[in-house]
Amino acid sequence: MENLYLFPKMPGVSIAIWIVSSMIFLFFAREPMHKMIQAMSDATAGGLRKMASWIKLSAEAMREKDRKVLLESGVAKIQGEILQEFHKIDTANTKSVAGYPKLQLKLDENIAKIESDYKECGQVTPEAPGWSEAVETIARAKGSTGDRIIEKMLSEIHKSAVAGEKKAISELREVAGKRHKILGGMAPVWKRIEKLGKEINYKVDKVIENSRNIDKYMDQYQKISTGGSESIDMLSSKVTKLFIISLIVIFVGMVGAFINFNLIALPMSELVPAGVRVAGMAVSEISALVIVALELVLGIFLFEAIGVTHTFPQIANMTSGKRRIILYGSLFGLLFLASVEASLAILREHLAEAKTALDRSLAGESGSAISENIDSNITVIGQALLGFVLPWILAVIAIPLEMFIEASQHAFAKIYTIMITLVCHLANALAFLIEGIFKILMHIFDIYIIVPVQISNMFKGKSASVS
Amino acid sequence: MRKIINPALFAVLVSMVVAACTDNKAYETSYCAMVDISGTYSSQKKSVVNIVKAGILPEMIPGDSMFFVKIDSNSYAEENLVTKLTLDYRPTQANNQKLAISKALDEFGSGKAKSRLTDISGAMMLCSDYLKKTQSGTQIMFIFSDMKEELPNGVKRKFADDEFEGMHIAAMNVIKLKKDSKDPEVYRKRLSQWEKRITGAGADNWTTLLDATKIQEFIDQAK
Repeated sequence: MENLYLFPKMPGVSIAIWIVSSMIFLFFAREPMHKMIQAMSDATAGGLRKMASWIKLSAEAMREKDRKVLLESGVAKIQGEILQEFHKIDTANTKSVAGYPKLQLKLDENIAKIESDYKECGQVTPEAPGWSEAVETIARAKGSTGDRIIEKMLSEIHKSAVAGEKKAISELREVAGKRHKILGGMAPVWKRIEKLGKEINYKVDKVIENSRNIDKYMDQYQKISTGGSESIDMLSSKVTKLFIISLIVIFVGMVGAFINFNLIALPMSELVPAGVRVAGMAVSEISALVIVALELVLGIFLFEAIGVTHTFPQIANMTSGKRRIILYGSLFGLLFLASVEASLAILREHLAEAKTALDRSLAGESGSAISENIDSNITVIGQALLGFVLPWILAVIAIPLEMFIEASQHAFAKIYTIMITLVCHLANALAFLIEGIFKILMHIFDIYIIVPVQISNMFKGKSASVS
Repeated sequence: MRKIINPALFAVLVSMVVAACTDNKAYETSYCAMVDISGTYSSQKKSVVNIVKAGILPEMIPGDSMFFVKIDSNSYAEENLVTKLTLDYRPTQANNQKLAISKALDEFGSGKAKSRLTDISGAMMLCSDYLKKTQSGTQIMFIFSDMKEELPNGVKRKFADDEFEGMHIAAMNVIKLKKDSKDPEVYRKRLSQWEKRITGAGADNWTTLLDATKIQEFIDQAK
């Protein structure tokens, strides 16, 4: 430092001379210095701003692409649902229309029966009751004449009137009975008609419900096809929900797969005894993993063949016969693997028991002490059941897996967009900060050369006033 | 023809990928236990056998190897190898092998073999030879002795610089002699000299285990 002193004995003067000369130098270099600082600011902050704008464009492009994919998938889904409803209506209508002539015939038959019964009822006319009054009049007149011949006649008439009355009453009863019988026979017919009416009502209600569903789907379809922000938000929310749910289910499934793997890894070493390792894993462990993966694959094929999932269009387009072959093949494969796993689980338990017994024997415990704890089959049964059930549960993962694949495109696009938007904001903030720092630097520079600048301004002012 | 070639090429490709991923790292562990049968330590044979059976054998997994060597007056000899085993990769077979070696160890424990002098270094060199031959990923030695070496005249024992390279060595069940009880510094100095010799010969680590329950911890650390 002392080497820089112009007058080593007077450091203060030396420093002052350095400061003044640097001020003068920097004053004359003011313009290029400003340009340099500006250029540095442009190069850094400007670069960051350019990067931010590029990222913004990229995010917008991704958003637009995602929007289109969402719209198209949403429209396709609703179209599918509408088609399904139409198919339902078609099936219902075909059934109803096919059954209608039969229903009509039944209805006509029943109505005809009621009509005939009604007519029959009208034809059976009862005798008019009037005998009792005649019998009473003759009975009153019987003792009032005093003439024996007339009395005898009246007595005979009375007798025949009483007999006639009795006959008429019995005939009336008989006719009334017949009418009741006919009317009683009409009751089931009425009931049948009522049932048919209900059946018609149910079918009509079903058709109306389906048409309402179509109306609902048509409304959604219209909303989505307009491509408004509301419909995009709705679709996005649906897909995100689907993604989260499928992710949770897949995570749970993976835990199940891990348990499954651990259940069969040890006994597999008995079946595939090899010291070779691939990527740090023993061949027996890889075999166990392959079994677990096969179960998952068979599950995918099973649900594909049933028509629950539609991951492979080739399978979806197959004839029902071929799909049935795949279905039975997958079912058989799963059954086979489940049985293998159950037996491996039993073997695992035996191996574990043998190891425990061996460890105890090596530790010097007696045989009776060893056998005391090994007298229950519950663990073996439990492990065998677990080994048999887990493959079927794993197979079901095929459904959320398809959901996950479908929804992941949107979810990842969303995450990517959020991330790069964040980077864009960060770049902008950084650019703003750098610009600020360079501005401050420029002001500090100006402050440092403030004295020569002010002197220059004074001279400039004088010359301006003189001029 | 193309129908055959394409799958064949695919199979070759898959095999190549699998072969490329095949791990050459040795995951097996080899153990060598040395037991001193000289002087006062010969009475410890039975307890040493019990420690080996209860502490080391259960830690062995399929593929691991075990050598059991006795320390006598001249230990660097093949006849000092009491028993050896390499466990089968099938767990059931491995269990049977463990039972068999346990019987051999019991026989050794109840035997009356005894020696006058103590050639610990020779036994260690013998163990080192056996362990190196296994090419196992982890190589562990257990020395059951009072660690007081007494070599016969004319017997030379010098460790090579890489004699115990990559090996983990533990002195176990080190009983204290009468002189040690009188002056613990003698005992400590003896062990410290061993440490210098062993680590100087390339051992990964050297330790003295006072408790048999620490064996598992030591093996886990070595792995």
